Amino acid sequence: MMNHVIAGVKRSLGLHKPGKSLLILPDDIFLVSFPKSGNTWTRFLLANLRFPDQQATWENIDRLIPDPTGTTKKDFDRMPRPRIIKSHECFDPRYPRVVYIVRDPRDVVVSQYHYHRKIRKIVDDSPIETFVGRFMAGETCPHGSWGQNIATWLYTSEGDPRFLLLRYEDLVADTARELAKVVDFLHLSAGPAQIAQAVERSSADRMRKLEQAQADKNGLFKGSRNDLSFVRAAGSGGWRKELPAPMVSKMESAWGPLMQHLGYELATRAPSEARDLESIGTLSPRR
Amino acid sequence: MIKRIIAGGKHLLGLHHPGRNLRVFPDDVFLVSYPKSGNTWTRFLIANLVYAEKHPDFSNINDLIPDPEGLAKRRLDNLPRPRYIKSHQYFDPRFPKVIYIVRDPRDVVLSEYHFDIKRRAIAEDFPLEQFISRFVRGELNHPYGTWGENAATWFYTRGSDPRLLLVTYESLQSEGARQLARIAEFIGVSASPERISFAIEQSSANRMRELEKKQGHLWSSTKETRQDKPFVRSAKAGGWKTELPEAGIAEIESAWGVLMRELGYELAIASMAHAGTGAGEALRRR
Repeated sequence: MMNHVIAGVKRSLGLHKPGKSLLILPDDIFLVSFPKSGNTWTRFLLANLRFPDQQATWENIDRLIPDPTGTTKKDFDRMPRPRIIKSHECFDPRYPRVVYIVRDPRDVVVSQYHYHRKIRKIVDDSPIETFVGRFMAGETCPHGSWGQNIATWLYTSEGDPRFLLLRYEDLVADTARELAKVVDFLHLSAGPAQIAQAVERSSADRMRKLEQAQADKNGLFKGSRNDLSFVRAAGSGGWRKELPAPMVSKMESAWGPLMQHLGYELATRAPSEARDLESIGTLSPRR
Repeated sequence: MIKRIIAGGKHLLGLHHPGRNLRVFPDDVFLVSYPKSGNTWTRFLIANLVYAEKHPDFSNINDLIPDPEGLAKRRLDNLPRPRYIKSHQYFDPRFPKVIYIVRDPRDVVLSEYHFDIKRRAIAEDFPLEQFISRFVRGELNHPYGTWGENAATWFYTRGSDPRLLLVTYESLQSEGARQLARIAEFIGVSASPERISFAIEQSSANRMRELEKKQGHLWSSTKETRQDKPFVRSAKAGGWKTELPEAGIAEIESAWGVLMRELGYELAIASMAHAGTGAGEALRRR
């Protein structure tokens, strides 16, 4: 009951976190991805681009590019427009403009495995095989499985001028080029010099240094292990070393067609045989 | 400010309608469809199967198979389990078991057109062709996405998942007993052929029309609408063939041709077979 009273009073004062009840404005921009796909990095990039006067840090990022489940309604109402808002949600028809970051699921699962160690959701010697199984079933986060999350967006929005799809791997390979696409998409006025500055201010090195200094300043780290860092490898392809081969093939047989569509080469099957994957992929509908 | 205090107070007492913030239980069963796709009919079918002793009608259907957008959180939290819940939502990964009713969008638009006249959202002489454009572009001002978005988010995520049962409105029309038996098996209710035919009888269009005449002015979805127009209308499949203008058919098929075909709907215009937004066609061709 006490909890109800607190929640009720908070709501009256606008101090609750709006979550799915967020009032969406027609010029809102959503930065969407499955968890552990470069969302935080991209938040830093966009924040540093949009607000060059206040360098993005772990302390101010939740204010600059907030998450509806982590920032109060009151703070949302005070943001300068257009607002850039972080989200891990599956397709939401109300989002007016969406930048979607996709990452190779084989790297996503490795990254999430380490993140769950850091936030003490799993123990150090927890078998990665078990984790992959839960990951594929969509049990490691509340946003669907990797395949479901990306599928809800691709099947509804790919090719739509209000939807920009970026790959994490392309962002790593040529950050400035990919960021220029975002600038175009959002009609921001930022030239090459500003883009270069945003890239530099959001580098893995700088984010690591900031993380060390501000470990207590962000909800992402609260109560987590300080011996493991949030900004980890910040690269792509780590799965080749860390993911056992049977797990790789399990993931590829579930999501093969989607992965290939996104340009992720499969390790377990020659591309010419990929045709057969349609019949076993989770995406293949029952006829 | 006053509004906020009222909202805060309602939350405090659990009197708000939770909508998409509904607390989901692991044994929940969701009856999901795009609006105007046979959801109310299926609610009656299931209610007559599961709660026959409660004599389901328009006066109690909102309590038997509730809509989280229309019932208070407190009531929803205290329903007997397992709960059967109505929904028009696009994909929600939290929904454990889902019966998804899909209907030919060419009939859905017609049904929605007549319903919008009934509830005074449009005038009686509103041009149908213009209405179809709004329908296709998602401009009808309801929060469930377009027909194609709604169906795609469920179909391409759970299409081969045993936790989703896909039922077409058309098959409910043509072979109701068989489809209701599928539903019964899916929700784990043992149903004899007698119970199934009883549920179908109790939910027939004629009986629902009679109930609507008596109770239509009380039911949430019809009470403030035009009483000269029925909620239970033709209750048939294929009305679009005579009622939809050709340009409207073309607009629908060019938006969703791929998905329609995957769901088993034959296209009137063969060249639309590869048409559609999103990655549907590219992924299908792989």
